[in-house]
Amino acid sequence: MEKKGYQADRRKFLAGMGMVGAAALAAPALNAVAGESDVKWGEEHEVVIIGSGFTGLAAAIEAKKLGAKDVVVYDKMPYFGGNSTFNGGLFAVPNSPLQKEKGVKDSPEIMTADQVKAGRGVAYEELLLHVAKHANEALEMTLEAGSEYFPYLQQLGGHSVPRTYQTTVASGAGIIQPLVKQCQKLGVKLVTRAKFDSLIFDDNGTVVGAKIMMGHYFGRGVEGTAVNVRARRGVLIATGGFARNVELRKAQDPTLTEEVPSTNPASATGEALLEMFRVGAVPVHMAHIQTGPWASPDEDGFGYVSNYSIYNFAHSLSVYIKTGRRFMNEIADRKTRSDAQLACRDDDGKPLPPITITSYEHAKEHPTMKKVLKYGVGWKFDTLEELADHFKVPLEPLKAQIEEYNGYVKSGVDEQFGKPMGKAKGKYIQAPFVVVRNWPKVHYCQGGAQIDVQARVIDSNTWKPIPGLYAGGEVTGGMHGVSRLGSCSIPDCMVMGMTAARTMMKS
Amino acid sequence: MKTQLISKVFLVAAVAVFVAGMSFAGETLQQFGDTKGRSYHADLYDGESCSSCHDDSQPSKFPADFSCLDCHDADELVQATSRPDDEKWQNPHNNLHYGKEVPCMECHGEHQESKPLCAGCHSFEYPNYKK
Repeated sequence: MEKKGYQADRRKFLAGMGMVGAAALAAPALNAVAGESDVKWGEEHEVVIIGSGFTGLAAAIEAKKLGAKDVVVYDKMPYFGGNSTFNGGLFAVPNSPLQKEKGVKDSPEIMTADQVKAGRGVAYEELLLHVAKHANEALEMTLEAGSEYFPYLQQLGGHSVPRTYQTTVASGAGIIQPLVKQCQKLGVKLVTRAKFDSLIFDDNGTVVGAKIMMGHYFGRGVEGTAVNVRARRGVLIATGGFARNVELRKAQDPTLTEEVPSTNPASATGEALLEMFRVGAVPVHMAHIQTGPWASPDEDGFGYVSNYSIYNFAHSLSVYIKTGRRFMNEIADRKTRSDAQLACRDDDGKPLPPITITSYEHAKEHPTMKKVLKYGVGWKFDTLEELADHFKVPLEPLKAQIEEYNGYVKSGVDEQFGKPMGKAKGKYIQAPFVVVRNWPKVHYCQGGAQIDVQARVIDSNTWKPIPGLYAGGEVTGGMHGVSRLGSCSIPDCMVMGMTAARTMMKS
Repeated sequence: MKTQLISKVFLVAAVAVFVAGMSFAGETLQQFGDTKGRSYHADLYDGESCSSCHDDSQPSKFPADFSCLDCHDADELVQATSRPDDEKWQNPHNNLHYGKEVPCMECHGEHQESKPLCAGCHSFEYPNYKK
């Protein structure tokens, strides 16, 4: 134990040591668990990135642009993109080219103010402002790589102005696929089936590499072969959230049992986040786990209804089946809406998913409507009578509610729930109708490891950055506070990935 | 004799129905010695050429990703499973989320039943897919 507790295989080491040994090590040095002097290196790279979502790929491209010769991206899955390629492809950018074209007045400060409000007082304003200020550069990186966006902006829940781009394929895949190709073009090494296991420190407590399980077969019982990878400039953890780690999310929020579905792929399990905590990173906001109010109980995963609802909520009304009345501002922030939906119950207290009603003539403006109808997760009705009959909604109250709501469309003031009616202007609810059912799904983990504005991971012993360790995107915590606004994850991930690369290349 | 003949006829008919049922269900998994494999790869099992796919002749590991492409042409596969325009990105061999980069074994099982990767979330129909 002379070596201050540094050892190549920390788990065996700690297990074999017993309580006395562990107590003797209860010094700051415990954080640094594997010492360089014991390590047999299998590979060496200049920049080592764990995770191939928005953050990891943006970091890889930026590092290359800044002159890095040798950049490697590892992903534990057999393909790239993680949860980012499942994502809805919505990208908030203040002062964007489209805003200028459409005459929308906006600024990084206004976007930050919207997010701070949704964050309910605990969001990290400095990080938000940093992302908002650099969001245009991130957008540019995707355009350069070949991403295509709809020629209009959307105004999502909690945003005070329309500032959200969306890829023409209505998925983060419209960004991930071009970024993967860009990485390949730039000579970034992309390695699949490579699972991050643990960090490797030198004797001064600097992260100098990572133990990677090569040949990892996710979900097939093959862990892989351990290879110690040396990182000359440091390691970036860009592994996303833990929405699919039921034990971990239940430990934070006991209501998020296995019965609550998720929009994320099965790989969103957060083990790299736990490793950062083990070496001393600061856990932030771990209990703030967001559910998506636009999801549907009629399909798995993110599905089609999510993007459909996100687009249509602004000019639709959501109705509680039992009363035929509205129960929320359809474009309030996510938590407000999810909580309101979860309160929709039948007489036995069982979930009674509310319905969202949109005029066909407005719904058809977004390509997801066709998919929603085609795959049977949404329905078209020619009359209100048919609609009410199908969902067993009391007809007369529903008729009155729609009339009342159309009055708000006309006046521009929602007297029921204070919904901003700007995007609903002239869009009256009338037959034929398209209807979907909504029920929240676990979507995003606001919590994670604390970072500073340079994407450096903070050490809970020293409150200074852990040298050589960087993190960005959903694996970090603090930026969004209690509730992340829609379309704010892509700018967060992309900008913090680019930021991490900039910091690393200066190191 | 007559009963024997009848039972033979019955047996043949039963087998025919069974085989027809199997191919209708798209089930191509068969027993080859002590291992299961696909009927359309019978040649490989007859020749005991595990090394056609596996790196080792006594397979202990999964084959390398994309080793199927040693025989199957990637572009032809993309072509063969192309879909109409509005379903363009549901082509399993060139799909929306992962492009052409999904290892074959993530959807196809040579020695056991499998299901398409996308079935976790989507309900797309692939009538020619052999589960």
